Amino acid sequence: MKVNRKKIEVFEGALVRHALLRYFALKGLDVSMVDHLTVFDSRGHEIDLDAPASQHEQIKFKIPRTI
Amino acid sequence: MKKILLASLLMLVVLTISAQERRELHILSTNDMHAAIEQFPRLGFVADSLRALYPDLLILSAGDNRSGDPINDMFDIPAYPMVALMNQVGFHATVVGNHEFDSNQYGLAKLIGLSAFSTLCANMEPDPKFKMHIKPYQIFDCGGISVGVLGITALSSLGTPESHPARMTDIKFMDPMETIQKYSFLRKQCDVVLLLSHLGYKDDVKFSAELPWIDIIVGGHSHTQLDGGEIHNGILITQNMKSLPYATHSTLVLEGNKIVEKKAERIAVAGRSEVNNTLAALVQYFSENPAFKRVLAVAETPFVCKEELGCLMCDAYIGETGADFSYQNAGGVRIESHPAGDITVCDVMKMDPFQNAAVELNVTGKELSDMLISCYDNDNQRFPYVSGMTCEITLNPVDGTIKKLVLLDKNGKKLNMKKTYRVVSNSYSVAVSPSKRADEGHSLGITTPDIIKNYLEHQGHVSYEGRRCLKFVSK
Repeated sequence: MKVNRKKIEVFEGALVRHALLRYFALKGLDVSMVDHLTVFDSRGHEIDLDAPASQHEQIKFKIPRTI
Repeated sequence: MKKILLASLLMLVVLTISAQERRELHILSTNDMHAAIEQFPRLGFVADSLRALYPDLLILSAGDNRSGDPINDMFDIPAYPMVALMNQVGFHATVVGNHEFDSNQYGLAKLIGLSAFSTLCANMEPDPKFKMHIKPYQIFDCGGISVGVLGITALSSLGTPESHPARMTDIKFMDPMETIQKYSFLRKQCDVVLLLSHLGYKDDVKFSAELPWIDIIVGGHSHTQLDGGEIHNGILITQNMKSLPYATHSTLVLEGNKIVEKKAERIAVAGRSEVNNTLAALVQYFSENPAFKRVLAVAETPFVCKEELGCLMCDAYIGETGADFSYQNAGGVRIESHPAGDITVCDVMKMDPFQNAAVELNVTGKELSDMLISCYDNDNQRFPYVSGMTCEITLNPVDGTIKKLVLLDKNGKKLNMKKTYRVVSNSYSVAVSPSKRADEGHSLGITTPDIIKNYLEHQGHVSYEGRRCLKFVSK
């Protein structure tokens, strides 16, 4: 799947949370921030972190202004 | 004059009949509740309020009712609290979501037997030995409006729902679209045809192009938050995110047998102050779950540090899955120590509260070494605990990065860096170990606290006094 246009490999049965954790780890970002993200599918609908990754080919996230 | 009077009277009669024929169907729907039992007093209030306005309210769930809160999932009859709460709210039907299989075929059959609502799924056929009372569809009479509700669930590339394969043996699954089309006869039998779908938003939209005989899809599975509902190819599609932040109230207006209007609004459930008191009392009762006090094993010696607890968790992953090696991020061990004596379900929940899934990978010694280093880097420079091996770690004193890592097997021999091993870890650890590897792994469909619980029960007695799996070498 793609996170903010970057292709991310995840294990079978992974959740959106795991794709974001991997994205953050690859980018050298603080993985603890993942729990605070607002995530959207390719059509701009909000989805939650526990959504099955297999249901979403592309996601985007926003970091809230206050964490 | 008489003719005008007669015509006027006739017009009035026609208008009166037309007015009488304008009928409304009201539906309250949820999806992917994932054992959000704490939301039920509020959901109950929403249901009561709508039912007061619309006595023939139809209440539906689009699946994945369970799995997400140990209070529900670790009850003596796993997931019974959700069934009891759904009975009390007055649900009419649910579809089978992939997580409904989390306590296997017999567990699901038992829950269905305890449900006051129907369990629908047209594309599964369980072996009769399970006595699983699943219907493909049901026609509900909602104040004179006949509503055909057809259940359908998503299948993975393996041809089964996303769950542990062993929990679905002797259940036949059929292609969703082919199955749905077999029930097009419902159009003739019903005023409204509703697809109760655990397919996910993407497939709901895709399928809508080929299902002109369906009026509304109440969807779930992808945890997609819609602003009430969306119309695609003339079909109203609804869905919300998991754990009941919202429920959806859909209204279909019929004139005669024709649907002239479809609309949906989302109703906030989380954060409401109004509650149904009976449901609040039930939630309180279930929260005092006696199953949490159940003794799983006896610790013959106290656990005096996190490493000993981490070793126990990693041993459990190997012991219950037959893997060669396992690892567990240090940050995921949430208690510092445990006294000698009983280890209860509650203790395991405190030790590993995250409900992570167990993930299995086939990786080389080199890939495993890279994963462990990567996990260390992303877990605040805390090295993960391991089992089946020990780790000798040399740190760079300047920045704390790993300078050298040696993995030794049980006999003290270095691991073959080219050989492939079966490794089990939790889903968090695997996600924060993004090193390059050929196999990304797969979920085993069981949570790590469940694995630890099973391991302790199988062991009966444990002792981890002085057990260490990590050796930090100073140079």
